[in-house]
Amino acid sequence: MDAIALENVSKSYDSVTAVSGVNLRIRQGAVLGLLGPNGAGKTTTIRMIMNILVPDEGSILVLGEPVSDKTRDSIGYLPEERGLYPRMQVRSLIVFFAALHGLSEAEADRRAREWLDRFELSEWSEKKMNELSKGMQQKVQFIIAVLHRPPIVILDEPFSGLDPVNAATVKDIMLEMREQGSTIILSTHRMEQVEKMCDSICLINHGRSVLDGDLRAIKHSYGKNTVDIEFTGPDGFLTNPAIASVNRFATGVEAKLKPGADAQEILKAAVESGAQIMRFELLEPSLNEIFIEKTSHA
Amino acid sequence: MRKIWLIIKREYVTRVKTKGFVIGTLIVPLMGIGFTALVIFLVGHQSNQSLRFAIVDNAGGIAPVVVGGLDMKLPSGQPTFVVTETIDRPQSPGAVQDGLRAKVISGALDAYLLIPKDLSQPAELHTKNPGNYALFGPLTAALDQALVEVRLNARGIHVDDVRDIVRGADLQIIKVSKQGESVEKGQTMGVAVAIVILLYLSLLMYGIITMRSVLEEKTTRTMEVLISAVHPFELLAGKILGVAAVAFTQFFIWSLSLALLATYGAALSAMAGTGATLASIHIPAGLLAAAGVYFFGGYFLYSAMFAAVGAACSNEQDAAQLQWIAMAPLVFTMLIYSMVLNDPSSRASVILSEIPFFSPLLMPLRISLQTPPAWQIALSIGLLFVSIVAVIYCSAKVYRVGILMYGKRPTLPEMVRWLRYS
Repeated sequence: MDAIALENVSKSYDSVTAVSGVNLRIRQGAVLGLLGPNGAGKTTTIRMIMNILVPDEGSILVLGEPVSDKTRDSIGYLPEERGLYPRMQVRSLIVFFAALHGLSEAEADRRAREWLDRFELSEWSEKKMNELSKGMQQKVQFIIAVLHRPPIVILDEPFSGLDPVNAATVKDIMLEMREQGSTIILSTHRMEQVEKMCDSICLINHGRSVLDGDLRAIKHSYGKNTVDIEFTGPDGFLTNPAIASVNRFATGVEAKLKPGADAQEILKAAVESGAQIMRFELLEPSLNEIFIEKTSHA
Repeated sequence: MRKIWLIIKREYVTRVKTKGFVIGTLIVPLMGIGFTALVIFLVGHQSNQSLRFAIVDNAGGIAPVVVGGLDMKLPSGQPTFVVTETIDRPQSPGAVQDGLRAKVISGALDAYLLIPKDLSQPAELHTKNPGNYALFGPLTAALDQALVEVRLNARGIHVDDVRDIVRGADLQIIKVSKQGESVEKGQTMGVAVAIVILLYLSLLMYGIITMRSVLEEKTTRTMEVLISAVHPFELLAGKILGVAAVAFTQFFIWSLSLALLATYGAALSAMAGTGATLASIHIPAGLLAAAGVYFFGGYFLYSAMFAAVGAACSNEQDAAQLQWIAMAPLVFTMLIYSMVLNDPSSRASVILSEIPFFSPLLMPLRISLQTPPAWQIALSIGLLFVSIVAVIYCSAKVYRVGILMYGKRPTLPEMVRWLRYS
């Protein structure tokens, strides 16, 4: 059984089509990266999965059941737009939302203390939300999304605004939840996070899913058509006809090869031009590159 | 149901715990009691003082008639006016006046009255306290009467008691109701107007509280998390009921303090000897119950609209611009209520008080003036109930769409279009 199954789902507002014929299956226990440019229809898709919006067409199953107010309780949601009642005390706020998700207040309180402790927020638990820093508020919001141990968690940009230590804690918790069998949907623009965390992806553009499936398989299908070059010195060799496009970084470039091009030719040309090569690696394309290719053509 | 209950609880607890609630609920009535006690005390104290004054009668023969007309008494039994001396046609008016002025300044006298030689000229009251209007009325009347009497005598008209002849007619108003008859001193009108104004202010205040509460959830983006846990209708219902519970608490505390005020105030005014002005205002329990029923009916009707407005807006400014949608019927009621006040059983009054948006104010008004037939009350409550259901249904639709919309303030036609969204 799939955790979530969308079949031919469409949704329009007045004359604007937000989502059009999206098909998506998420296996239980998977971590799915939900990708797409701004305004592609990700939030609308998420809201339909949560039964906040009703699709005009198509069907949505959550854990095998048609979406309803009941299936919504099996989903934890961290929205991209952060914010909670500013004048409520941290722990009572967490308990309030956990109770809304069906926990008894005693159980909610017990778990709230546990989680606040884990995020080193215990001493803030009696403080009001608006006395917390942005990062702390974000942690509280994350706790609210996962406290009722939902089988499905939807996290929209979970790492934004977190320092590396807290980001690592959130990442560990996500991996833990996956081990316990939770299904995670990670919606983000940070491709390197998707590459590290996700088993599969779904790329939405202009309301359609343009790419979905297993992340390894997708990358593999592109073949090793990218070279990652770290170098100093002249960069004239980058105009080599075998190179289709170049993505520049501080220490080097990521160059995409034309079909059938030989990477050795480029290495030779680089050395001859007098560039100092520190690293030259033939790779599958990065997700970043796939994203740009898929979304800029459409 | 459990979720609605949780939302009611949160709304209630966080609202009742605010400083604003404590101030509004406890301190306002305390201040009311304090001020009333102070006023009663001061009025009682002040009216216990007789006005001591002298009369300088330059015309002659008028002073005794004036004195005869000033026989009213203070509640304490003391005369209101004490004429210490009358000086009939003094030889040297200037010197006499100087002497009296000195007495007024020293406090031996409160005032002196100067009756001119030529009676077509105005009389003069010289006093240190020219603001004491309560005493000037009777004094003017007595002077008036004295002049009429003297002039009639001068024309040779023999009148034994001129006062009897010139005394005006009094009209006493007696209110007839099923409970019997009671002398009307303006209290019916006063209570009626007070009820309309209180209901208007309360509906407006709690409506706006509901609107702001919805708006806060939106502007702080708490809404995003809320709708991931509850259905928008549960959220709306919980919000409206939660604020209603706050209103109920507040009214309960207020009516309790009002009851205290009535008892305590009456005792206080009796002590001060001012004749119990507060106790004479009798508010029937039936009227209070009706006001309660219509308040909560009106509250559900209006707060649902205010909530929809709050949901449709993304910031306070937009909400301030759009809240006329919910306020307009209330304000309109305030413009027409005097029509009902003047003639509570006219056809227009009956029809207006049946219309759901107006009935929460106008029906209690009619009830307080003269009890309308039971079927009219029943019909208006029925209509009110039906429209509450309809308005909440529509508001919930606007609310459902609105809470997800950010950015541009919607227009009324756009909000109407939201009603058709699935």
